[in-house]
Amino acid sequence: MKKYSSFLLFLLPLASFSQGGSEFYNDSTFITVLVLFAVLVLIGGLLFGVTRNLKRIVREKQIELVEPSYYQRKIQPVVSRWNPIIVSLIVVTGIIIVLGGWGYKYAMDEIGVQQDYSPTQPINFSHKLHAGLGEGELQLDCKYCHSTADKSKSASIPSANTCMNCHKYVQATAKYDGKISPEIQKIYDAIGFDGVKREYIPNYKQQPIKWVRIHNLPDLSYFNHSQHVKVGKLECQTCHGPVQEMDRVYQFASLQMVWCLDCHKQRGIDLGNDYYEAAHRKSLKEGKYHVTVAENGGLECGKCHY
Amino acid sequence: MRRKHQYWKGFEELASESSFVEAQKNEFSEGLPLDEAFSGQMSFNSNRRDFLKFFGFSVAAVSLASCNKTPVKYAIPYLVKPENVTPGVPLYYASNLGVYNEGFPIIVKVREGRPIKLEGNDLSDLSGGGLCATGQASILSLYDTNRYKNPQIKSKDVADWNLFDSQITAKLGSIAASGGSIRIITRTNTSLVLKAAISKFIEKYPTAQTVVYDPISYSGMLIANEKSFGRKVIPMYKFDKAEVVVSFGADFLGTWISPVRFSKDYRKLRIPGNEVMSRHIQFESLLSLTGSNADSRVPMRESREGLYLISLYNKLAAKGGAGLIPSATSEELAGGAIARAAEDLWNAKGKSLVVSKSNDTDCQLIVNAINILLGNYGNTIDLDNNLNVSQYSETEFEKFVNDLSEGSVKGVLFVNTNPVYSYHSAKKITDALKKAELVISTANAPDETSGMAGFVAPDAHFLESWDVLEPQAGRFVFSQPTISPVFNTRQAFESLLTWSGNALKPSGDKSGAYEYVKSIAAANVTTNWDQALHDGFYSSGEKPASVPSMNALINDAVAVIESSTKTLPETDLILYQKVGPRDGSWANNPWVHELPDPITKVCYDNYLTISKTEAEKRKLEQGDLVKVSVGGNVIDSLPVLIQPGQARGTIGIALGYGRMVPGAGENDLKNLGKNAFPFVLLMNGTSTYIRTSEIRIEKIGSGYELAQTQSHHSIEGRDIIREATFEEYKKDPFVTNHHKHDLISLWDEYDYSTGHHWGMAIDLNACTGCGACVVSCSIENNVPVVGRDEVRMRREMHWIRIDRYYSFESDKGFLTKEKDIDALTKQNTKAGKPQVHYENVKVVHMPLMCQHCDHAPCETVCPVLATTHSSEGLNQMTYNRCIGTKYCGNNCPYKVRRFNWFRYNDNDQFDYHFNNDLGKMVINPDVTMRTRGVMEKCSFCIQNIQSAKLTAKRENRKLKDGDAKVACARTCPSGAIVFGDLNDPESELSKLYKNERSYHLLEELDTKPKVAYLTKIRNNKSTNTKPHHS
Repeated sequence: MKKYSSFLLFLLPLASFSQGGSEFYNDSTFITVLVLFAVLVLIGGLLFGVTRNLKRIVREKQIELVEPSYYQRKIQPVVSRWNPIIVSLIVVTGIIIVLGGWGYKYAMDEIGVQQDYSPTQPINFSHKLHAGLGEGELQLDCKYCHSTADKSKSASIPSANTCMNCHKYVQATAKYDGKISPEIQKIYDAIGFDGVKREYIPNYKQQPIKWVRIHNLPDLSYFNHSQHVKVGKLECQTCHGPVQEMDRVYQFASLQMVWCLDCHKQRGIDLGNDYYEAAHRKSLKEGKYHVTVAENGGLECGKCHY
Repeated sequence: MRRKHQYWKGFEELASESSFVEAQKNEFSEGLPLDEAFSGQMSFNSNRRDFLKFFGFSVAAVSLASCNKTPVKYAIPYLVKPENVTPGVPLYYASNLGVYNEGFPIIVKVREGRPIKLEGNDLSDLSGGGLCATGQASILSLYDTNRYKNPQIKSKDVADWNLFDSQITAKLGSIAASGGSIRIITRTNTSLVLKAAISKFIEKYPTAQTVVYDPISYSGMLIANEKSFGRKVIPMYKFDKAEVVVSFGADFLGTWISPVRFSKDYRKLRIPGNEVMSRHIQFESLLSLTGSNADSRVPMRESREGLYLISLYNKLAAKGGAGLIPSATSEELAGGAIARAAEDLWNAKGKSLVVSKSNDTDCQLIVNAINILLGNYGNTIDLDNNLNVSQYSETEFEKFVNDLSEGSVKGVLFVNTNPVYSYHSAKKITDALKKAELVISTANAPDETSGMAGFVAPDAHFLESWDVLEPQAGRFVFSQPTISPVFNTRQAFESLLTWSGNALKPSGDKSGAYEYVKSIAAANVTTNWDQALHDGFYSSGEKPASVPSMNALINDAVAVIESSTKTLPETDLILYQKVGPRDGSWANNPWVHELPDPITKVCYDNYLTISKTEAEKRKLEQGDLVKVSVGGNVIDSLPVLIQPGQARGTIGIALGYGRMVPGAGENDLKNLGKNAFPFVLLMNGTSTYIRTSEIRIEKIGSGYELAQTQSHHSIEGRDIIREATFEEYKKDPFVTNHHKHDLISLWDEYDYSTGHHWGMAIDLNACTGCGACVVSCSIENNVPVVGRDEVRMRREMHWIRIDRYYSFESDKGFLTKEKDIDALTKQNTKAGKPQVHYENVKVVHMPLMCQHCDHAPCETVCPVLATTHSSEGLNQMTYNRCIGTKYCGNNCPYKVRRFNWFRYNDNDQFDYHFNNDLGKMVINPDVTMRTRGVMEKCSFCIQNIQSAKLTAKRENRKLKDGDAKVACARTCPSGAIVFGDLNDPESELSKLYKNERSYHLLEELDTKPKVAYLTKIRNNKSTNTKPHHS
């Protein structure tokens, strides 16, 4: 009894995880552990059964000789020649490789590496149609909708009233036999707009649009769009990929720290900016015309983690 | 090994008690209860194989547990984005702080519609940019889950205001029709809007009258000024013009009248580099924050204050040739302190100031006479630009309570007042209230009074309110909402207008309240509404201060004082306010209580303070529990705290505790401390906070552990404080800083030439120790509240702490050496004399946060490089790398690193504000929430540095001095902390680094800290210079 109670002790932290309210450890965690436990009990039972059978065989063997089985004739002589240590090492390594590979994928997902993540959105919005450069595509500037990308840390998903600037009039009726596009209708439903009369419905109970967030940086890292768009003068596509060709947006970059740092090691700071006056003077003295972000302290922990 | 105790934090350190020595050995209080868990029934004798089994199982289980799906996150944009809101960019509004009744201009930082930080409004001289600890903490009251969510009738929620209003108006109408009187009880009311609404209400119900009630009274001063000058006002005291300040118990830097403003003004004459340095003499019984900052602090029995004032008056009158008061007694304090004070005051005639805390009219009359003798009126005291801090009159309120008891008052309306808690006789007022037909309260959270009210019409929080207030004659503060109402509440003035049939209606997209407040402002203050609202205040210009003549004779007052102080009482009980909790209105605010008291360094409780000699006489020890009774009132159990510096024969108990807040969470704030308001006595028409008779103290237990932080993070007796007198400083400004060390460094120097080099300077002369920085830092950096038990285990999380050091002062000068102290103690014991030196202590306050050393000891020992150095001189802490070895904390000589023992957010064990959705709204979104098992520490508010740099880059300009702000420096009422860039030779910081008084802590360790301290200079005569490494 003593033995088992101390054994169960190790379940306690897990149980408290599951109560912690974190999104990572929900109730299924505890159930998983219970299932695991059940499996172990089952295996124990099986092993017990096997031993019992073997013992019975040994007992019987002492009484009468039996014909050696296929296993005893063919396999046992081979296996008994193997070095048990090497065999177990090989087996264990194999298991580690298989499980490790599988674990790696899980771990990457778990720490938020979601490259190519492309969820279904509540409104089937096409960036290709709106921002694409091809025939019949609208060539909107990214910052028309994501208007705070050069002002704020977040580029911001446009509010519905930004959509309404055009969609008060644009209803894509041509594609839908004269009816209002069902996707545009979703905006109307959210904000309270009568698409037929083309007027806002007074006292309408508005329903926000729940877009699924694709680019998720963990809370422990600080990222600021305006730093990169306005100060660093990066194109949106550098990090977000060819959004203008995406019907459904997917995560282009891995957003891992190494990906950030690789770029910081290559790209230069804008020496024309008056803020960098001292750095500029020093670089001229040294005859350098390219000072990377990294050389300017862009690899330091405290630049992003605080 | 015993150390030389030059400066000490508490008696346990002074006496090297075993508990103290033991505690210092463990850098971090250990306490994972493993032994307990594995003892008894659950004991297990694990061996290596068991360990491997459990380890293997745990690894398998944890890896399976982590195989959940990554949660889907949503991004929900506005439907219609408000024009001025940019997600991720804070907005700042000027508004009013509701902590001070009279009004106080603040700046509110708002992120995506949530106020997250308050600061003083630096445009206005009413605040001068500083904010006190209580003011900082008050933002959390907006997100208090206990607040009333709806109006209530008989404790039941009524979601519909119309239904509520119709019932109230019917009741009010019937009371008015039958001629029953109605009383409106407000706190001191300087709101023009509320005044206008009340007058409308009285128009409608002519039997209504207003009565003012404040928990803390200044009526002694008001009546004295009425008698002396015919003006019932509190004058403006100009500490920035007072070269000699003599204070009788007035804690003007902590709790008295307008501490933030006084701190700002007081500081102006405390910097020795300027031509004049003021001299501050404090006479008091308890050691107050102000007393701890005085140049000379003289312990005094406050019950005898009147006699000392007479004596001071006579000494001054003798010098000025004015008529002496024929007085039988000529009281003098040890060392001729009164005579010396008189000398100093007379030498600074017209540039001096005498203030007194006493709420006794006669004492205040003599204070007025003294200030008249010194010619201070018109110079340091201004009756014309008076402060509207208090309008409370005990006689009027007593009359109201009596009328109520007699049943002649039928309707009572409490506008944000809570007399049931703080009135001296709770029973009398509760019994009386039961006789009223209608009791309405506008409290925005349940309190003792609203619990008695049949109708509760919850007022909006001050951050949800429109208002115009007049805290000082001719100066107005404008309040505007910074968040849409969190609950179904309504401002009190709107309620009053509704009940008087003047309900406000919105016009267009403007609310009725907006239009009404605007019209009041236009009629009374200014028509330039937009500008006034933008600035948050408006001044109609300062009137010239007149020089009044005193028309009252003080002979009567002298006679009263002398007859009432014929015998020396055995004990003085002094009721005082603590910095932070103040009068108890903010009882449900964890930040206020987690802040260690600036003097006692106790969190969470109130207690009985007593001097060491007195405690020995009464056979009491620290942590004993006593039953205190005064007259018929009893506090059943109160812990004892032995306080250095306290006058013999006095005991102190803080007011503002023992709130019975209904519905408070199950945490340390529930039923916190004991209520001492019943001990307040009404005498000669004013409340007295000093009791002298029928005081009984009875020991009922022992071993109560106060959550006292004074001995935590001990600096191990190392020499970190430097101080000198003004005389010595004038002779040689480098007085304490001659000794330099020849140091050879093993480390390379960093190159800071192209960027910034951040640093800080702290002026020990300006720092008053008030603790505002501690609260400000906690809010800015999401520092968790840990609760009383964790503080007892030395696990408080504050990134900045204020160390308070004592040192002895005796007739022979300044005692710093252990052998001197021992000799004096022995000598006194032999002669049978009291140990006077325990009363005469000097105090130094030293704020301490991460010193951001260039050669940081923490950086070199971190095995995972979680703490690193930046190219801007910052010592960075990367939480997600930290594995919690605590080596860095062990290696830090300044003891500024804090370890997260628990995950304080989302944890029922720490049910303060991080644990509910509403309380979480105050979290600063730019700073990570730290989790269990990581180290954290001051970051120099790196989020603000980064944001200031980014703004400069976006605007294509160089960073200006003052762009980057740290939370502690921003809020400091006395401007003691300066933050800036050492690479900018013009920055204020660079100049302070070159100051003669500037030094670094533990320079001999060659850690090269980037926080400079400026030597403490005291303007007194006795020598106290202690050369470095004496």
